Amino acid sequence: MAEPQRWIIHVDLDAFFASVEELLNPELRGKPLVVGGAPGSRGVVASASYAARAYGIRSAMPVAQALRLCPDLIVLPHHFEEYAKRSAAVMAILHEITPAVEQISIDEAFLDVTGCERLWGPPVEIGRLIQRRVRDEVSLPVSLGIASNKLVAKIACDLGKPQGLVFVPTGTEASFLAPLPIERLWGVGKVTGARLRRLGIQTIGDLAAWDVESLERMLGKAGRALHTAALGQDASPIAGHRERHSISQERTFAQDLGDPEALGRTLLGMSEDLAARLRERHMVAQEVRIKLRYPDFRTITRQVKLPQPTDQAQVIHAHAAALFQKHWRPGERLRLLGLAVGGLLEGGGYQLDLFADVDKRRIRLNRALDEIRRRFGPEAITRASLAGRRGRRGD
Amino acid sequence: MKLSCLQENLAKGLSIVGRAVATRSTLPVLSNILLATDESRLKLSATNLEISVNCWVGANVTEEGAITVPARLLTDFVNSLPPERIDLSLIARTQTLNLRCGRYEANIKGIDAQEFPIILVPEEDKASQFATADLAKMIDRVVFAAATDESRPVLTGVHTELTPQGVTFAAADSYRLSVVSSPIPKAPAERISIIIPARALQELRRISGEAESVTMLVSSARNQVFFRMPEVELISQLVEGTFPDYRQIIPTTYNTRMVATTADLLQALRMAAIFARDAANIVRLQILPNEGGMGRLIVSATSAEHGDNVSELDVTVEGQPIEIAFNVRYLLDALEVIDTAQVALETRDPTSPGVIKPVGGQDFVHIIMPMHIAR
Repeated sequence: MAEPQRWIIHVDLDAFFASVEELLNPELRGKPLVVGGAPGSRGVVASASYAARAYGIRSAMPVAQALRLCPDLIVLPHHFEEYAKRSAAVMAILHEITPAVEQISIDEAFLDVTGCERLWGPPVEIGRLIQRRVRDEVSLPVSLGIASNKLVAKIACDLGKPQGLVFVPTGTEASFLAPLPIERLWGVGKVTGARLRRLGIQTIGDLAAWDVESLERMLGKAGRALHTAALGQDASPIAGHRERHSISQERTFAQDLGDPEALGRTLLGMSEDLAARLRERHMVAQEVRIKLRYPDFRTITRQVKLPQPTDQAQVIHAHAAALFQKHWRPGERLRLLGLAVGGLLEGGGYQLDLFADVDKRRIRLNRALDEIRRRFGPEAITRASLAGRRGRRGD
Repeated sequence: MKLSCLQENLAKGLSIVGRAVATRSTLPVLSNILLATDESRLKLSATNLEISVNCWVGANVTEEGAITVPARLLTDFVNSLPPERIDLSLIARTQTLNLRCGRYEANIKGIDAQEFPIILVPEEDKASQFATADLAKMIDRVVFAAATDESRPVLTGVHTELTPQGVTFAAADSYRLSVVSSPIPKAPAERISIIIPARALQELRRISGEAESVTMLVSSARNQVFFRMPEVELISQLVEGTFPDYRQIIPTTYNTRMVATTADLLQALRMAAIFARDAANIVRLQILPNEGGMGRLIVSATSAEHGDNVSELDVTVEGQPIEIAFNVRYLLDALEVIDTAQVALETRDPTSPGVIKPVGGQDFVHIIMPMHIAR
């Protein structure tokens, strides 16, 4: 079966903070304004209206410098609550189009609209719909880039700003990128840019024309990645689609707890639960992380990378207990104890040990336990050292 | 000390002893190379207290003597000299080594040779002898399986058993085991069982290239091993402890046996490795028997983010169909040292060791534990 044609839309609100300020105070519309720190302090421009940009003012520029460029500049303080409210409204619209939304910042998101044609029409129609709805419902200008992958969609969006909609048909990614300066590529900063320019590589097209091997020799692994990007290829998925990268559990104690045995039992219980959840999801973890919160709300997290990925409670517990031993001093009382497993691999596996026959027995035991829990509920069976734990919880 | 030798010979000698120089030692003299006249030759020595290497270089000696000088400095300087005669002389008062080669000259400050550790060489009576080419091949087949982390020190060594019949080398980390045996030209009369650091065997492999045969001696205290070649000598401490009884791990029965063309299997696995890179190196082998002992092997790797890869091979299969997962790096490591046209994989079930053997060679067996997969 052929893969469906992939369509990614990059949505970016134009001069977001500045646009919200104009919305809050319509008199400011069309005037050079920035949102940022007070000019006397070391503040920088967080957002500049397009009128301000005409003076050469850019984000991250010191406010003092911006004022030199435009003495009439209006400098406004942040109104984060207002921005967050508008951002949420925009994201809600996007989520109505598709659940596959990856929000990358307060004013930017990727949408995977692959297969949404039946519902919303062709990708360009979806783009126009988003633009119209954001304008009508939130009164904010927005730009979009539409392409077969995230890399090209983002660059397309940047090129169309403000209030643009740039569509790059499949198959034209490389020729679309070719005339652009190499700095447009994600990952090409000042240093790499200068290095490439010394090699006579000015445009993305120049970069694509180089052979991968030479690039790899000069830039290492990044060389190959850059070459792929220069060809307009990018297979990275929308993160909203992706599985979670960690699973965690926390216990806030009714009264601050300092009893090592009780804390140890809590860790063991959480290890059991997390391991069962891993197995349920057919995942293995590569990291174990503990979280300790003290009565004064000071909180520390400490983690360890496992020598082999696992979905076994015994392994998770052994590492969690070792971390705990290392970072908890006897007598210290805790308000909260948390355990998380991270670095999750889907359908992943772990290497069995040549000298430990126990591995196999453990797997069979856990499989049996999972089956019992599945059929008779999570409370049906537990470790002897934990007996009573679950019952007590309801007391 | 006063002597002259050729730049090429000195440079080569320095490269032979170079890897035995201690890199992070609290004892400054261990970062040095000992240069000593030995009759009409120049003897170079380096040691990190675990491995010591001596190498003799042809020289014209006019005055006996010895000095140690920093290895890096001496080696880098000698390597940058033209291929001509080098005159070396020791300025005893300042413990400085003077080197002249054509119009180039250097003075290198040294440390008194007396401070360099003395390595004793045992009697010859319990000597074994190896043909260098065979020894190199055996080393290649086991050292990669030795553990690189120190959590179980015995596993960083290669278990070496000498009997009147020959030699058996075995190395294992926690996940795989390699065992290779061979008759040797000269074996000891009694059984000797020792653990040689894998690093020492790797070093021996590197420096034994030109010698036709290697003589091996084990000290009577069973704490050192000596490898002697015409111009070179390597001495290594042995690893203390008891090597796990690996013979128990080698399965004697199987439910599935597959025979594949080594080159085809290697190619399929190398391809799968590209996709397995981001997925804990997991490769799945599906062995499917057909009628008449024939069958198919399906090699697949899946990266949740980047895609998947499937290859199919015609193989011969005996026994049950099975799906088993391995770390593809381990499979590749093993197959890369197999030189027969065909290779066999035997296993009992998806959680039992996979046994890899060259077909038509009885002297090598490699065991890999499978990966447990969540589904």
